[in-house]
Parts: sequence; C-alpha cells; structure tokens
Amino acid sequence: MIDPNLFQLVCFYAFSAVTVLAALSVILLRNSVHAVLALVLTFFSTACVWLLAEAEFLAIALIVVYVGAVMVLFLFVVMMLDIKQEQVREGFIRYLPVGLVVALVMLVEMLALIGVRAMHAVSMGADPAAAAGVSNTAWLGTALYTQYLLPFEVAALILTVGVIAAVALTLRHRTGSRHQSAGQQVGIDPSRRVRVVKMAAVRAEEPEAVQEETRT
Amino acid sequence: MGEQILNQVVWPLLHIVAIVLPLVLAVAMFVYWERKVIGWMHVRMGPNKVGPLGLLQAFADVVKLLLKEVILPTNANRFLYYLAPLLALVPALAAWSVIPFGDRLVLANVNAGLLYLLAMTSLGVYGIILAGWASNSRYALLGAMRSAAQVISYELAMGLCLVCVLVLAGSLNLTDIVHAQAGGKGLFDWFWLPLLPVFVVYFISGVAETNRAPFDVAEGESEIVAGFHVEYSGSAFALFFLAEYANMILVSFLASVLFLGGWLSPFPASWGWLGQGSFLWLLAKAFAFAFLFLWFRASFPRYRYDQIMRLGWKVFIPITIVWVLVAGCMKYFGWVSVGTGV
Amino acid sequence: MLAEYWPILLFIGVATGLGLVLLAIGLLAGPRRPESEKLSPYECGFEAFEDARMRFDVRYYLLAILFIIFDLEIAFLFPWAVVFQHIGIVALIEMALFLLLLVIGFAYVWKKGALEWE
Repeated sequence: MIDPNLFQLVCFYAFSAVTVLAALSVILLRNSVHAVLALVLTFFSTACVWLLAEAEFLAIALIVVYVGAVMVLFLFVVMMLDIKQEQVREGFIRYLPVGLVVALVMLVEMLALIGVRAMHAVSMGADPAAAAGVSNTAWLGTALYTQYLLPFEVAALILTVGVIAAVALTLRHRTGSRHQSAGQQVGIDPSRRVRVVKMAAVRAEEPEAVQEETRT
Repeated sequence: MGEQILNQVVWPLLHIVAIVLPLVLAVAMFVYWERKVIGWMHVRMGPNKVGPLGLLQAFADVVKLLLKEVILPTNANRFLYYLAPLLALVPALAAWSVIPFGDRLVLANVNAGLLYLLAMTSLGVYGIILAGWASNSRYALLGAMRSAAQVISYELAMGLCLVCVLVLAGSLNLTDIVHAQAGGKGLFDWFWLPLLPVFVVYFISGVAETNRAPFDVAEGESEIVAGFHVEYSGSAFALFFLAEYANMILVSFLASVLFLGGWLSPFPASWGWLGQGSFLWLLAKAFAFAFLFLWFRASFPRYRYDQIMRLGWKVFIPITIVWVLVAGCMKYFGWVSVGTGV
Repeated sequence: MLAEYWPILLFIGVATGLGLVLLAIGLLAGPRRPESEKLSPYECGFEAFEDARMRFDVRYYLLAILFIIFDLEIAFLFPWAVVFQHIGIVALIEMALFLLLLVIGFAYVWKKGALEWE
C-alpha cells in the first residue's frame, strides 16, 4: 500500500529539486535562450509545488501570468538582443564582487525574516477553504474583494501607471508610413466618391457585324 | 497494492488512451474532411484515390510524413529545434484532460478547469517562437514573430470571453458550467443567448488563435511561405500539424461546452428521448464548429496583418470588457435564469 | 483536491511520450542524407548570407508588455467572477472601478497610437 502522504512528500521533493536545478541552470547556462527556458521550467515546477500546497488558483495563475506572459516578453527580448557570449563572460568576472555582496545581503535579510517568523511560530493550520467546503479560488476571491479591497484598487492604479509608462517610454512613431483608418473608411459619404451620370443609350453598330462574322 | 495501482494508474491511463486515440484519429479524418469539403467548395473532387472514397488518404499521409527525412538546417540550434514541436503538441493535448464529454464523463474534474485551459492555451506560443528562432531562417523567424504577436493578442480577448462565461456560471469547473446552462427551455437556456457578442468573439478569436484562415498571415504562403515551421519536415512537421488540428478541435469542443450547453439537448427535457443529454449532442455541436473552420477557409480572403491586430485590440477587447460588466449586471439583477444543475 | 490533478500529470506524461515516440520514429525510420544545399535555410533562391536572428521593431516588445498587464487584469477577474454574487453590489461597483482604471490606460494606449500597425 502506498501511503498518499508519502507520495505527496516524494512529489514535493521531486518538484523542489527540479526547481532548484532549473534555477541554477538559469545562471549557469551559456546560451541565453536556454537560460530563459530554464527560468520557464523554474516557474512551472514552482507552480507544481504550490499546487501540492493546495494553492490551486495561485499555482495556475503563476503559469498563466509568468510562464504565459512575462517569460514570452523575456524570450522576445533575449532572442532579439543577440548578446555576444564573450562580453557576458567579461562582465561576469568584473561584477562578481558586487554580485556576491548583493547575494550576501539578500541571504542575511531572508534568514532574518525567517527567524522573525519562526519566533512567533504558528504552524500552518488545515486549509480553511477546504474546511469551509468552497473552492480555493472562491475563498481567495472572497478575501480579496472584501478584506483587501483597497490594495486591490491600488493594484489597478499601478497597472494603469504601468501601461502608460510602457507606452510613454517605448513608443516611437515611424515617419512617412501610412495606415488604414477604418473609422474614416466606414464613415465616408458614398455620394462624394461615386458620381452617377445619366447618359442616353448609344447604339453601337460595329460589334454586331463582328459577331455575325464569328458565328458563321 | 495491486488494486491501488490498478485504480490509480491503469484506469486513468486507459481513460487517457480513450481520449488521445480517438483525438488522433479525429485529426486524421478532419484533415481528410477538410480536403474533401474545400474540394467540393471549389467544385473539385478532393482526395478520392487512396482507399474507398479516398478515406485512407490521411493515413497514407501520416505514413509518408513519418518515413521522410527530418532535416536539421545548418546553424540551427539542435536541442531547441527538436524541443519546439514537443512544446507545441503537449499543451494542445494536455488541455483535453478537463473537457467534460458528458455528465460525469470527464477525466480530471478539477475545480479550476477554466483557468487550467487558459494556462494550457497560453503555453502554445512557446512552440511557435522557439521553432522560428531555432531554425535560423528569416522566413521562420518572421512568421514566428507575427504568429506570436497575433496569438497573444487574441488570447486576451479569449480570456475576457471566459470571464464572461464565468460570471454567469459562477464556477470554474467545466461540468458545473454545463449544468448552469440546463433548464426547461432547451437551447434558449444556453449561454449563447445572453452572451451573444461574446460567443461570436470567442469563436473568431479561436480561429485567430489557431492561426487558421482568414487569420493565417503567419503562414501566408504567398508572402512568407509556411511561417514558423518552414524548415520542419517529416515527423517534426507532423507534430506541429497534429498540434494545430488538435487545437482546432479543442476550440470547437470548448465553444460547444461554454456557449452551447455541452452535452445538453437543444430540445426541452419534456420531449422524451430527444430532450435527453448525450455525448452525441456534444459531438454534433463540435462538428458544426469544426465545419465552420473549413467554411471560413474556403470563403474568406486573408486579412492583412494590421487589420488582424486592429480587430483583436480595438474591436474584440473593448466588446468583451463591456460585456463582462453587462454579464455582471445580468447575473446580479437576475435578468437571466441560470440553472443550478440537474 | 490533489487527487483530481493526478490524471492531468499522467496526461502530460502521455502527451510528451506520444510526441517523443513520433519524433523518434521519424528520426529512425526516415533517411538521413545531409547535403549542404538541402540543409541551408530557405531563402527563396537567394544564398543565405548571414545569421538570420535579427532585431525586431520595438512594437513587438510593447505588445508583449501590454499583454502582460492585461493578462494580469484577467487573472484578477477570475476570482471576482466566481464570488461576486455572494459579496453583492459592492463587488460589482469595485470591479466597475477596476475596469474603469483599466479602460483609462487602454484609452491612453489607443490615443497614442500604440495599437496601430502600419
């Protein structure tokens, strides 16, 4: 008999191992497109780990937003930038001390945070959503749209600022190019484009004679 | 132990085979049907030499594709070149695991089914981009960029359509969504009626999402040959082909499940056996949608690229954003009756 | 809940397996006669003269950024659509506000012409 809990534990370690290995290969792989794909794998296996923690909505949202959208942008950028490998290697040595300092500071911060959390340690309770008998998404939605209403609207504001900033920073208009304006096309007045001219009918003599000839 | 393996591994695997095998066969027959239908619409015969009525044509093509050389172009990235068709195929097939074929006839009855579908369709773009980049060919790269930009644009419209369905159904579970469309009035209870604009937007976005005519600029054969998979041949090309057709059939099934009541009968329940829900109804609806794909291809001239982007961003997204709120009002003020399940 | 995701994992495995088998059949059963003309990238009769990985219009990046932002908004809409009826009119109003902000951003993008492809 395979214990479901044991199986879950095995899955957890398997997904975690993939996550860590993929994250390592992001910084170790030489080819930058391979590195981006390793990052995709990192996100994907992280989503699997979250799914194991019964965070159904967050796990799939991670795939939709990060794997489906953010990494596509990364891929666009990395593919087209055409980074030369030698330059990268050169920079690696030069910025190594700075990188190490940043990594050290982050490590200390994370350890401190974990330490603080551990002091008032509250073990994770049973999943409240499952206890209440509703789906994970519904539980999350209820919390988000009642308790955290203000942060939610602030998020909307930040997204709007993001849209405007992206356009303001990157949009360059090409000069001299033409494009179709569907509104103008639909909105034209037919009488200004086509003039119907009334003419008296004219009888052509010649073509009939030709037709007669060809028939015989 | 043995019984557990039987229940946990063997039965699900058999169910999966029971989905994948008919799906692959359906793709083969759909290709045959496409060539036949387009032939008739062009006043031609279509394939009629291999087997009775040309029925074995698709299988002959499959065997031919598998026996051809898989060419790896010079300077191509070998690993990514072979990975790309896999990345196109796996999400296209994996999305099928949550489709309800009938009441309780579903492989994985997950709570977040609709969200899972959105995730799987959003993964399809990787196969396209990587194929274009790994081939080291200008045509492939241009086709890939066009395709990718088009796919992600229409994905937004599709996502908003899903939200509209969700607002009325109130559940992410696809079986529940079908149940929410049940009622005494048959087809007038389905979501196509209150969500009519969204229904149209959804199907057209589906056509654009699968890069089919008239949205097939990415493989517009008169401009950039075959698009992102121009360098692919043999079985690697067969995988892209399989993924594209599996996606088309998926969109057809989804349109039926989300807007046309899935396996429910179009007739009122009081009509005896005609009013009973059945897998056959779902099949008939999906077939009708799949036929539309072919009809579009035979009828419409190809859109220009700027027109495609305009339609996606300036027409479909505004319509669906407005309809999310309209659907919200419909549901909140009780303007539509939503079935609570049978 | 987790038990329902198990068939999906199996399905992904089967799909990957199917893809690998088909690819392997093609690689093993097909002939392999490399030749420089055959292997050169398709160029409509031109000689392939340089690496094909080129730069692209910034428009594509802008599109990808816009896509991320709108995708996030859709991710926000999903839990809302599931629960808004239980919360009531407040939820409807707050989502209207959310969408209004979104539409302001969208209108700006539109007005600036970032959605034009010439």
